[in-house]
Amino acid sequence: MISRKAQKDFITFFLYLFVHIMLWEWLRPLEQLTDTSNIGVFLLFILLSFLLAFMGTSLLVSIGIKMAYIVWMLHFLYFEESIFQLSWISQFVHDVIENIQILFARDWSSLSNIFRSLLFFILLWLMTYLIQYWLIKRRQILLFFLLTLIYITVLDTFTPYDAGLAIVRTVISGFTVLGMLTFYRLLEKEVIQIKTIPIKKWMYPLLIMIAMSVGFGLASPKAEPIWPDPVPYIKSYGKDSGTSDGKGLQKIGYGLDDSNLGGPFIGDNTVIFNAEANSRHYWKVETKDVYTGKGWVTSSSRDEREPFGYEELVPIQSYNNDAKVEIKEEVSTVFSMGNDAHIVYPLGIKQIIAAPFYTFEKETATEKIHSIEGNIPVSIEQYSLVFDKPSYSVTALNEASSVENVAADRELIDHYTMLPDDLPSRIRDLAIEITEDKDSWFEKTREIEGYFRKSGFSYDQLDVAVPGPDDDYVDQFLFDTKRGYCDNFSTSMVILARSIGIPARWVKGYTEGEYKGLGDTGSRMFEVTNNNAHSWVEVYFPGVGWVPFEPTQGFSNSVQFNFDTYLAEDRQPEAIEQEEIEREKPELADKNENKTVSAFSFEKLFDRLKDLLTDHWKWIVSIILVIAFLVFLIYHFRGRWLPFYLAWRFKWTRKDENLPKAYLLLLRELGRYGLHRKEGQTLRDYADYVDRFFSSSEMGRLTTCYEQLIYRGELKAGSWEETKELWENLIKKTIA
Amino acid sequence: MTHEQIHPLIKRVLENIEKVMIGKRNVAELSVIALLAEGHVLLEDVPGVGKTMMVRALAKSVGASFRRIQFTPDLLPSDVTGVSIYNPKEMEFQFRPGPIMGNIILADEINRTSPKTQSALLEGMEESSVTIDGVTHHLGKPFFVMATQNPIEYEGTYPLPEAQLDRFLLKMKMGYPEMADEMEVLNRVQKKNPIEELEPVIDLEELRELQMKCKDVHVDETIKRYIVELSNRTRTHGSVYLGVSPRGSIALMKAAQAYAFIYGRDYVLPDDIQYLAPAVFAHRIILKSEARFEGIGAEEVVERVMNRVPVPVQRLVK
Repeated sequence: MISRKAQKDFITFFLYLFVHIMLWEWLRPLEQLTDTSNIGVFLLFILLSFLLAFMGTSLLVSIGIKMAYIVWMLHFLYFEESIFQLSWISQFVHDVIENIQILFARDWSSLSNIFRSLLFFILLWLMTYLIQYWLIKRRQILLFFLLTLIYITVLDTFTPYDAGLAIVRTVISGFTVLGMLTFYRLLEKEVIQIKTIPIKKWMYPLLIMIAMSVGFGLASPKAEPIWPDPVPYIKSYGKDSGTSDGKGLQKIGYGLDDSNLGGPFIGDNTVIFNAEANSRHYWKVETKDVYTGKGWVTSSSRDEREPFGYEELVPIQSYNNDAKVEIKEEVSTVFSMGNDAHIVYPLGIKQIIAAPFYTFEKETATEKIHSIEGNIPVSIEQYSLVFDKPSYSVTALNEASSVENVAADRELIDHYTMLPDDLPSRIRDLAIEITEDKDSWFEKTREIEGYFRKSGFSYDQLDVAVPGPDDDYVDQFLFDTKRGYCDNFSTSMVILARSIGIPARWVKGYTEGEYKGLGDTGSRMFEVTNNNAHSWVEVYFPGVGWVPFEPTQGFSNSVQFNFDTYLAEDRQPEAIEQEEIEREKPELADKNENKTVSAFSFEKLFDRLKDLLTDHWKWIVSIILVIAFLVFLIYHFRGRWLPFYLAWRFKWTRKDENLPKAYLLLLRELGRYGLHRKEGQTLRDYADYVDRFFSSSEMGRLTTCYEQLIYRGELKAGSWEETKELWENLIKKTIA
Repeated sequence: MTHEQIHPLIKRVLENIEKVMIGKRNVAELSVIALLAEGHVLLEDVPGVGKTMMVRALAKSVGASFRRIQFTPDLLPSDVTGVSIYNPKEMEFQFRPGPIMGNIILADEINRTSPKTQSALLEGMEESSVTIDGVTHHLGKPFFVMATQNPIEYEGTYPLPEAQLDRFLLKMKMGYPEMADEMEVLNRVQKKNPIEELEPVIDLEELRELQMKCKDVHVDETIKRYIVELSNRTRTHGSVYLGVSPRGSIALMKAAQAYAFIYGRDYVLPDDIQYLAPAVFAHRIILKSEARFEGIGAEEVVERVMNRVPVPVQRLVK
């Protein structure tokens, strides 16, 4: 490294100026995006640092000045009394000591503002030193320039910060600095005194080129972004998601309006609530009963509500009080993170336990429960839900569709088998075809549910069609696209069931969420995000009640069917598939079933992987490309870092066995440097060539030593120690 | 290879030869190599470039007895090996040794004599002994033959068969001296021939010792493998009709040992092999006639082979 005295010429001043502009760009967004204020103070510090560097102030003086500035500014920002009263100093020292302890405790959020500012000053100090080193010693700034560009573009993309002008400023200053530094590097390579050559001849074309390219860049038309702006989806927090306008991308999540289903969805990780539960179960929000051909609406007004207090039973009857459903009381607790003024509840809800000042209203049409405080709908932060977890007897379900039972519930059944008049008839034909071998409603429903797992359907969130004005949503999915997400599958199943007279309704809510581990009380913790918004099917069985079904690929039903005697009589693969849910209670299933279950879950895993691939292949491909590109860069520029690494690696070795390793690596590195050894060239010949190239005798001396090792078979002890320096010098010469 | 020290005794020999042979250091060196490796040399060149002078200078420098056989078409094997003559006084046959019974022999224009006579010499070269009338006579030790061959005359010559050529360790050319060197030659011989004044610089005992020491020079497995790969490659080369025999590989190794020894090294380098390979291999290769038409020489083939065979730069992993 050539040591250079501080140059106080015009060009160096401009170098510092432009680099200052670039560093400024790092600070600009802070004011807008973080709670950092008084950016000017920091900016002044950078300016001061560069000025001191430009003036060539000696190290000690410069450290003194900078420290004085930092202390002065910290006082200015955080202390009231006069700087000369000195009492603030003890306060400050105390604060620093305390914060260092916090630092070691890794309790980042507790750091005080004054300490943060101090750290920030130190960071800037390091930054300015590093930049000065790049600028003056290495004469390279590309890395910093690139990082600045990436920083700005990322901020522009993902935050409200508008970097339109920032990018122009950065490009101008970055390219100017790059151009000037190239000039310097050339001068130093050719050992030319700067005074002897006309700088203008270089600088004017440089400035003209930059001005022209920036001018063209500004003037030329900009193409619209190819990717949709990800920001709105990241920014929004669930409340406005899920509403579909039938066009364009929607964000996954829970919404109110389902009258126009279809179209692609993208994921959203916003957490809606955390839950503590003893077993996994879906979370219901509401149900819909009327299918329009495009989506779901409710038959009666949503304002029709049934209020109830916090200690009253929830007016939703989940099971017809029969002994036909085995129930087990459980309690789940919801910790709400969003602003939804409704309750999410499991199937079999009995009671909501929350603070006594909350009351609830149940929408009759949808079974949606609103949480009310006074008269205002509010979001309850924490509430527990007492519910009966069902385990349906298959025998009972099979018996439910007997003629007497159906007649008893005629009205309800008629309501939930309503279909639009213009429903294509082939839907019904398909439903009949699917269920032709089966007798009971339950078996038929299971056939329909299972139909989606085969027959070429695939789960997809992006490539999902929107039905045209003349299309039926279900018809399009069943016969044309066969690609879709939960809405497609669940709606289709409801319509298929209804078309053959089985009463069914559409349920919206969330899946059990992501399992996060055991909570304090031994119950399981789940995190439910907008990604877990889901829709499924409930089928009404007279005498039993509403029973949930899960037609969507990649999801499994969260309720249990108890195959008591039914299984023994008629063992069907589809039936066993449902048993997967019962993994949690393996004692219920016999060994044979377990086997089948594991085979099925493996298949399911494969399906999920496939879904993942099909849903996110663009992301996966781009990540792979980026990684490949990075690997390529690292490999391509290995000349910059590999010799350092090798020199470091062998620096501390003493054993002579390292000589051959080191020597062969040196050969490789020399080859990479451009000094190729021909296959038939002897080492000695090659060493002569290398030494002539570097005007040294190091390679020859090292080679003589190595020759002894490989052609004589032995080596004087300590040879590596002796030749290590030669080797190090050589390997450093291969730095690109 | 300037930074290597030549063995002091050899240096003296070479300097001694240089008093007579100006500017022919490499030829002298190769001759000494052959002498140390206990091999023989075939010199191919036009008359008058100093072949005889070379051999005589070498013989004188090492204090060896020098014999010269001028091969002619009518030379008989007994003229080479010696003959038993009846001595009437002693009433018995007495063996009169032929010129082959010396230490250093110049076999001048070896291709001029009949194959019968040639083989008498070549047999001696190979066996280090000759059998005459049922009695085996051991040849001198050291025994070093330097045969010459005139490449331009073909009329009335008996070219050496390939099998015979194989017995020479090296084949080399003298070449004309440089202009300055030739002028210096003229200067030196103006008054009297400097060969007359040449004194031995080492004795035969020392020479034998040097020959023994050459055998101790280490030839690593990597180098042996390199030698074998080189000769193997000559056998499969497209332009070659007959490649280098295993005897050629041995010859190369021995020559390399001697060469390394001269330069004071106790191990052989690939550089040694590459330096010597053309001289050791070229006369053992028979080219296809197409190659000869294309003007490719055996030396070129050896060069090409050397460019293709990778030099060992790592120890063999067994």
